[in-house]
Amino acid sequence: MIDIQDVHKQFTAQTGGGLFKRGTKRVVHAVQGVSLRAENGRITGLLGANGAGKTTTLRMLGGLFPPDAGHIAVDGLVVTDAPLKALARMGILGDAHGLYPRLSARENIVYYGRLQGMTPDAANARAEELARLLEMRAILDRRADGFSQGERMKTALARALVHDPANIVLDEPTNGLDVLATRALREALRWLRSPAGGGKCIVFSTHIMQEVEQLCDEVVVVSHGRSVAHGSVPGLLEQAGESRFEDAFVKLAFPEEVAA
Amino acid sequence: MKQALIVFAKELSDALRDRRTLLRLLVPALLMGPLLLTALSGLIASMEERADRRELMAAGMEHAPTLANFIERQTYTVKPAPADYEARLRATRLLEPVLVVPKDFEAKLLTGEAPTVEIVSDSANQRAAAGTGSIVRLLNGFNRERSTLNLAMRGVSTQLLEPVDIEERDLASVQARASRLSNIIPMFIIMAVLYGALTAALDSTAGERERGSLEPLLMNPAPHGAIVAGKWGAVALLGMAVALLSSLSFVPAQWLLRSDSLQAMFQFGPGEVLAFWLLQIPLAAGLSALLMALAIRSKTFKEAQAGSTLVVTAVSLMPMVSLLNPGGDAPWYLWVPGLAQNTLMLAVLKGEALHWSQVLPGIVVGFALAAVALAYVARSMRAAVAR
Repeated sequence: MIDIQDVHKQFTAQTGGGLFKRGTKRVVHAVQGVSLRAENGRITGLLGANGAGKTTTLRMLGGLFPPDAGHIAVDGLVVTDAPLKALARMGILGDAHGLYPRLSARENIVYYGRLQGMTPDAANARAEELARLLEMRAILDRRADGFSQGERMKTALARALVHDPANIVLDEPTNGLDVLATRALREALRWLRSPAGGGKCIVFSTHIMQEVEQLCDEVVVVSHGRSVAHGSVPGLLEQAGESRFEDAFVKLAFPEEVAA
Repeated sequence: MKQALIVFAKELSDALRDRRTLLRLLVPALLMGPLLLTALSGLIASMEERADRRELMAAGMEHAPTLANFIERQTYTVKPAPADYEARLRATRLLEPVLVVPKDFEAKLLTGEAPTVEIVSDSANQRAAAGTGSIVRLLNGFNRERSTLNLAMRGVSTQLLEPVDIEERDLASVQARASRLSNIIPMFIIMAVLYGALTAALDSTAGERERGSLEPLLMNPAPHGAIVAGKWGAVALLGMAVALLSSLSFVPAQWLLRSDSLQAMFQFGPGEVLAFWLLQIPLAAGLSALLMALAIRSKTFKEAQAGSTLVVTAVSLMPMVSLLNPGGDAPWYLWVPGLAQNTLMLAVLKGEALHWSQVLPGIVVGFALAAVALAYVARSMRAAVAR
């Protein structure tokens, strides 16, 4: 279970400046009040436009930097207090998911398994298992150097799931994937949610309506750094009084533009 | 600790798989030193050869039968100089100085007018310039003989001419003399440490950021200190490995030495290799950490390379300090990374025994540098990813 309560984060960014003049500092409010509660055995979507604060929220969840205000807990463990314990309970596929090009897919996966405290044999067995689930057995022993976008994504996902975490966090996992790869990923996530797959708590961020409609049990709409609405897909449709999910999203996320 | 070992093993195998980079790095590290050593020994061999030949190149010797007689009595043979000797000396095609005797030499000598002979050389032509000393000595001998004879004929004791007896005594041991040539070896070993560590240091920090693999790495429940320690261990070990190969490469290189006397003097055996290698440990430790610290703030490999140029240049110029300051080693040398190793390696080459008090400063500085730099890397990693 992942519980994010009213987190805030601001950064200082530098403006362009001139040839000899340094840019001035400006404060950017990346996240100003995002809340999310993801239960086990459910897929929770974090839906928002580009720059809405999804990635920043998920990076705080991963403990990369602490929130300025608010509270993040994973299975009751507060991330800022016990980051390593919290990380051990999460499998995170972040915005950046680079592989080591000179290692094979299997070595990439096993390396992370070992860092998660698994024995080499257990990590290896788990790599085989994930390769079956994600249909990547053919590339398992190839070096990551020449992987396609989809192959790279599958390897990165397998790497994030190697320790069989109870909580799975995915940041825009379908970016750059073709239809077949997206479908395969969707299937894999549905299986992980099912009791047979372990009834995982899955959080994933996206800006694609279709995915949310097809996959999510629960949706949190994020706009301008705030979570503005949450509920199931039919619930949100009802809330907005629309029949198409896209219209509902625009109405919920950008009320001022719809009014204008 | 276990996690540091896992990171260490991965970084090492990752770096060793990068065959192309390794090869490009090993070629200069392994070949440059021995090649230069062989070339220098060739130069020295040719000088020795000339000394053995006892030949003198002269123009106009036919005008000076008395001088020619003296020179031949010193078992030298006189070779006529080519007509265009000046042009040849300038162009470094003639490699020995030329003695020029004027036409009126014999007449002036007999009338006691002190004829002038010229020794023509070119100070930009090093081999020719090196040969002038022996000609000057030869001519001084001639002068002394003439004056002694003149005084003796007037009944003056020749002892008056030399009130002081001069004897030279060379304190340098055989190994110390050879070390003048082998002074360049430590430089190559230090460069080897640097080159071995450089790529791995940048790849494991800035390279990891550029690939986007640092962020997921930090999402593992491993303390940052352990991750950094593992990476550092691999980087330092690579530096040490290249240093070992480089110092081993000088062992076969000495068989190629062209000068016999050099070969006899130059001693670079397993003992020296081991001492050299052990002396590099603090340097590899400090340098690897420093390079990582400089690179962790860079977003790309390229940026990191630009940032490391300063360290690379500074360390590779360190041996120059002792070359440019031959007045003796200052005590502070032992506290400067790079310079300390250079000084100690030179001592090993001279066959001197090392004392702990000489080695300890380098170790302290090297590992202190490593500790500070690694703490900085561990602290910066998260900030580097978050930006």
